[in-house]
Amino acid sequence: MKGLLSRYRGALIVAAALLVISPIFGVVLAEKVGYHEPLDVAAEKLGLEEHTIAEWTPFSDYTVPGLPDTIGYIVAGAIGVGVILGIGLAAARLAKR
Amino acid sequence: MHIPDGFLDPFWIAGTYAATLAYAVYAWRRIRGLFTREQVVAMSVLAAGIFVAQMLNWPLPGGTSLHFVGGALAGILFGPWLGFYVMALVLAVQTLVFHDGGITTLGANILNMGIVAVLAGYYVYKAIARSLDGTRRARFIGAFLGGWLGIVLAGLAAGVEIGLSPSFPYGVEISVPVMVTWHAALGVIEGLITALVVDYLYQRHSPIVETAEKIAAYTAA
Repeated sequence: MKGLLSRYRGALIVAAALLVISPIFGVVLAEKVGYHEPLDVAAEKLGLEEHTIAEWTPFSDYTVPGLPDTIGYIVAGAIGVGVILGIGLAAARLAKR
Repeated sequence: MHIPDGFLDPFWIAGTYAATLAYAVYAWRRIRGLFTREQVVAMSVLAAGIFVAQMLNWPLPGGTSLHFVGGALAGILFGPWLGFYVMALVLAVQTLVFHDGGITTLGANILNMGIVAVLAGYYVYKAIARSLDGTRRARFIGAFLGGWLGIVLAGLAAGVEIGLSPSFPYGVEISVPVMVTWHAALGVIEGLITALVVDYLYQRHSPIVETAEKIAAYTAA
């Protein structure tokens, strides 16, 4: 199964490189311009009240508890890639051929 | 584009979940028993790439952002059935692991970005590539327009869902023009990235294209 994934070594290296620079966009520039989710901004402008919903996600907003936001963003991204590829490899085992 | 919790009322939550599940079942019936391990791995690599691309969120002054969505790209490469599963995987992981998009709105988010954008990308690309004899230029134009229209229609769908929910006080006459106008502008970037990625993958004879083409031949809509 790992052999199948090795065909995509180039694509995975590019993804890893993009992950390393991703905090520039997702954290550093976001803080500089005071970024919030567009629909959250719209809700705030409309004066809508947010209903508090219990937090069920372990890495909310691409943060990792105990890590600074920039490093956490990269680690969270790596976890996401790992989860997606893990599900893909598990599903591939179910395919007949 | 990811609708958070609290924006949709129970009717639209149930309706969008039902529509998405119905599409998932139909898509599964169309592909069941046809795909190989190699193709599933290729799909997951594309899903991982789209996930990372969505993290390159370019914030704009005023509190909004610009980032690649990838629905049209998934549709162009893997067709309307497998492309749906590529996007559903990305969106489910974003919601369940990172709370990016609401759990109550996951059905709507998959409907918008995993069905509407995927279908628009697939059909526009296919129509243009066919009418221009499948040349490199045709692929580029088709992918650009497919990416653009995919994001505009996904924005339109989100605007309708939000506007028709009573929790949004201004209705579709406000939500739809705002969402469509904004996404028509952002869609130019989506189209450009989609076209550049498709062109790059074809020019490099990427194994993703090779693998996707094998299955697209017998899972076409």
